[in-house]
Amino acid sequence: MAITFIKSGLQTSIQDLGRFGQMHNGISQSGAMDSVAMKMANWLVSKPLDSPVVEITLIGPTIKFNSPMSIAVCGAIFELILNKHTSHKRVIPSNTSITVIKGDILTFGRVQQGARAYLAFSSVIDLPPVLNSFSTHLTAGFGGYMGRAFKNGDQLPFSTGSNVSKREIKSEHTPCYLGNYLLRCVPSVESGEFSEAQQACFFAQTYKVSADSNRMGIRLNGKALIIDKSLQIMSSGLTQGSIQIPASGLPLISSVDGQTIGGYPRIANIITADLPILGQLKAHDKLRFLLISTEQAMEVLEEKNNKLAKVFTA
Amino acid sequence: MSKSINKPAYRLVDNGDSAITVLFEQAISEALSVKIIQLAGLLQKAFPVLIVELIPAYQSLTIMYRTSGLEECTSIKNKLLKHIKNCLVKVETVETVETDELMAPLHNRKVIEIPVCYQTKYAPDLPFIAEQAGLTTTEVIKRHTTPKYLVHMLGFLPGFLYLGGLDKQLHCARKAIPALRIQAGSVAIGGSQTGVYPVNSPGGWHIIGRTPVSLFNVNNQLENSFKNTLANNKEESQDMFIASPLDRVQFVSITEKEFDAIIALNGEINGGSN
Repeated sequence: MAITFIKSGLQTSIQDLGRFGQMHNGISQSGAMDSVAMKMANWLVSKPLDSPVVEITLIGPTIKFNSPMSIAVCGAIFELILNKHTSHKRVIPSNTSITVIKGDILTFGRVQQGARAYLAFSSVIDLPPVLNSFSTHLTAGFGGYMGRAFKNGDQLPFSTGSNVSKREIKSEHTPCYLGNYLLRCVPSVESGEFSEAQQACFFAQTYKVSADSNRMGIRLNGKALIIDKSLQIMSSGLTQGSIQIPASGLPLISSVDGQTIGGYPRIANIITADLPILGQLKAHDKLRFLLISTEQAMEVLEEKNNKLAKVFTA
Repeated sequence: MSKSINKPAYRLVDNGDSAITVLFEQAISEALSVKIIQLAGLLQKAFPVLIVELIPAYQSLTIMYRTSGLEECTSIKNKLLKHIKNCLVKVETVETVETDELMAPLHNRKVIEIPVCYQTKYAPDLPFIAEQAGLTTTEVIKRHTTPKYLVHMLGFLPGFLYLGGLDKQLHCARKAIPALRIQAGSVAIGGSQTGVYPVNSPGGWHIIGRTPVSLFNVNNQLENSFKNTLANNKEESQDMFIASPLDRVQFVSITEKEFDAIIALNGEINGGSN
């Protein structure tokens, strides 16, 4: 049992929730950048929420199914067409489980909202885990499918298949990606090193996402903060969502494949609950930041987890 | 009469909403790295499920923990704080309290030799370093291969070793414009540090040589390698990484022929996707 990537897409790779317990070895967690969309896709095909999926970025693949199964696509809204060049072509929706048969071809067309979609399968992907995870570490070249993104012609093997009941997630529960975001943050290690003027400049402005953004980090364009070049920091562990301010004065947000030890001062850190938004950012999207307390951040996280749990018991 | 205000030996800061960082006042040193690695080992043993990551650095330890809400988070932070205080007391008084638990990271420390070819082909920035230092390239190589560098921690990239002990004369500020792609195995100097790029990567350090040996081999993974490097049971069998924190590393100069022979034996280094 397998699927064939007739076209691989821009950056299509196997991801799960991430590889944990290895950051002290310089190995970042990797994993789906939008973990919420990933979990939703898995739920739709009745798989454990942390099952490996295919992460699709901006330009999607064309996939041929060589055996029957159920699939689901969540996250960014792509035009999805089944059997495009045939008389029985049809547009299929995201956020719903779909049955495919042998010979079906799924084409990802234009992306309308967001940046990354997650394709989950009812069948089990037949790949070995590396360090307890199926996530691909693109920089170091291991994990997932041969340690890399898919190329044209690749075949992804599956083992057992199963019939699953049809599921859908109602639109009131699926996020929109409208390209204008408010990211909540809490203090980070060097927050206190930034002057009131610098903090004011940072929190007041609307930044734009740079095209130079990827799974390692999100770069922002906007009004540069004036950086005191003599500011020495002790490099320490770099957590996801850290908003670093390098010499350029423009923020660099650390993401799933970011370095494990940072060298730039951090003005704030995006709250855990808002990290999945990083996976949906694309060039020219607008971003603002809001500082909240750690207590509020935890309340937000709990509330969000409760909401998601309700969706998964529907 | 002047009053001296003692700075606290360490302080705890939030590192996002699911991590804290212990920042030490002490200068970068072997003693401090020993303390940090011991603390990490003790915490990992005490909270095997709660703690997701422990990231040692030159003067800090970052602890990422699992939490899903406010009540749990507050309780976890309090537990950690208490435990960190207790562990540090233990670690400070190590001369009088020598338990296996504390001494474990100090057992099995190795000196690892890393062969490096410093020939022109692999050392584009060696002449620049020599010029900056006012030395011949031969003298630079001698000064680079003499020390037994201490591994303070791993980080930045898989298997990248942060080494302490670079000869002061070889210090050289990073390039203003980093190179887009440095070949895996490149041996470099950046600021006051020296190290080896374990995978292909952009970087701003000066390249003075190349090693044919792989620093990171994910196929040699052990079960629970997390435990094996930070806590007690570090085994002799092949590790994923060429060295661990508190090991020492010495560079050994080899010829191009020897370099090619090692590659022929082991294969090319897997440099990753870059």
